[in-house]
Amino acid sequence: MSVPLLEVRGLCAGYGELGVLHGVDLRVGAGEMVAVLGANGAGKTTLLRAISKVEAAPRAGSVVFDGVDLASLAPQRIVRLGLSQIPEGRQLFGELSVDDNLRLGAYRRGRTERDESLRRAYALFPSLATRRANPAASLSGGEQQMLAIGRALMARPTLLMLDEPSTGLAPRVVEQIFAILARLRSEGTGILLVEQNAFLALRYADRAYVMAEGGVALEGSARDLAADESVRRIYLGAALDEER
Amino acid sequence: MIVFVLQLVVAGLTVGSAYALVALGYHVILRATRAINFSQGEFVVLGGLVAYTIVHVLHASPWIGLIGATAAGFALGWVYERIVLRPAARNGDIAVIIATIGCVYILLYGHALIWGSLPQPLAPFTGAQGQAIHPGGVAIQEQSLWVFALLALAFAALWLLFDRTTFGKAIRAAAVNPVGAQLVGIDVNAARAASVGIAIALAAFGGTLIGPITLVGGTAGIAIAIKGFVGAVAGGLDSPMGCAVGGLAVGVIEKLLAGWLPYQAVDPVVYALLLLVLIVRPQGLFGRKDAVRD
Repeated sequence: MSVPLLEVRGLCAGYGELGVLHGVDLRVGAGEMVAVLGANGAGKTTLLRAISKVEAAPRAGSVVFDGVDLASLAPQRIVRLGLSQIPEGRQLFGELSVDDNLRLGAYRRGRTERDESLRRAYALFPSLATRRANPAASLSGGEQQMLAIGRALMARPTLLMLDEPSTGLAPRVVEQIFAILARLRSEGTGILLVEQNAFLALRYADRAYVMAEGGVALEGSARDLAADESVRRIYLGAALDEER
Repeated sequence: MIVFVLQLVVAGLTVGSAYALVALGYHVILRATRAINFSQGEFVVLGGLVAYTIVHVLHASPWIGLIGATAAGFALGWVYERIVLRPAARNGDIAVIIATIGCVYILLYGHALIWGSLPQPLAPFTGAQGQAIHPGGVAIQEQSLWVFALLALAFAALWLLFDRTTFGKAIRAAAVNPVGAQLVGIDVNAARAASVGIAIALAAFGGTLIGPITLVGGTAGIAIAIKGFVGAVAGGLDSPMGCAVGGLAVGVIEKLLAGWLPYQAVDPVVYALLLLVLIVRPQGLFGRKDAVRD
């Protein structure tokens, strides 16, 4: 990996008095899927927020995306650079239609580009096309997650950050969503994935970071980490039991 | 008798149009910022005074006055969000309420300093002052016809903006889910400022419309703010249609009551009717039930 798409160095962030991240280093290459694992409270969600600057702001360290230092940029400028975040809870516009949610994903883009992206989104998620006039709030959990991904893709990101995309979804739907993420990666989109289901994440990701207490405890290829004794014991135990 | 009643209804719909525009302003600002802007009525007065200056000091046409007052309202609303509502919101909902009430007095005495405290006549958009048509013996001022037509136009424009344009939907998106809006690259602060700009533009527009009938300036703003609020609450603060109908209804009820009751009794009865609506239908006549929070 020569010049990474995303390079995070010494990132510190928190909320009010509370410091959560204490110097995180992380890199994501173009077309690479990177998983961030770790226990609850390790700072995984805060990491994504501090990168996108939605709901949290960095206190120290640097985030360079596609060669641009994000330090002085507002969240809406970061989205326009090609970095989109799908938070836990999805943050859809519930009262607006599926179609409007998707179109707003391409806010500030030209009409032709927006229509083109819309066609792609419906091709990727055919089940959304049949519900395009329905309010987003009326969709099932799986459809809402697909809408959140579709909306993020409308901005044509080169890096997609997802926070716990599998939470609360049926296994069949989770497999569908990860198959789509794998396809996006093969088309060149970088993916930074926070996931509590470590077994699932390591199966799809190229590399992974294990976070603990606001820092990176371990990093390596997904294959190495999946074989690592301490990772297996601490993070994969429950997942492996489920698989049996 | 029937002519008398119809006469009162026309007068009520005319003044009610201003209440309706104020009520729509409450709706737009509430959605965008979760605050009730109590200074809405003062911006009605200010809009009328800006139009007065354009028409009677600069000697431009009343239409230029209307456009100028509306544009000034938008600009003032934008600034008002930046220097009053946004800083106050950092200190909680109560701070916002206090700030908007404080602005009632700043604006009230501010425009009295510039334009004097006595109300001024504003030229009607067409014809001479008070010129009327008389269908079936009911006198309808030409200006009232303009008021009805332009209220309908403003309502249609709002609907087009918020239901048919990407910009309007982005403003709605920022209102229903600010975090989600940031995630798709909408500038939430700009969307809020634009919302408040639109609401204050509606108030200034309303003040210019009814100015030729009611005079502009003076202390009318507080009553307009309260009546508009009654209309919005009775119709349903979360429903644009409810706000428009509620505002018009308050105007009609007020004028009908004034036809028979001594004027001191009119406002208490209007407010009593509001209480009745709130007891029977807390969400307002057009509001959704889930909009009522405890």
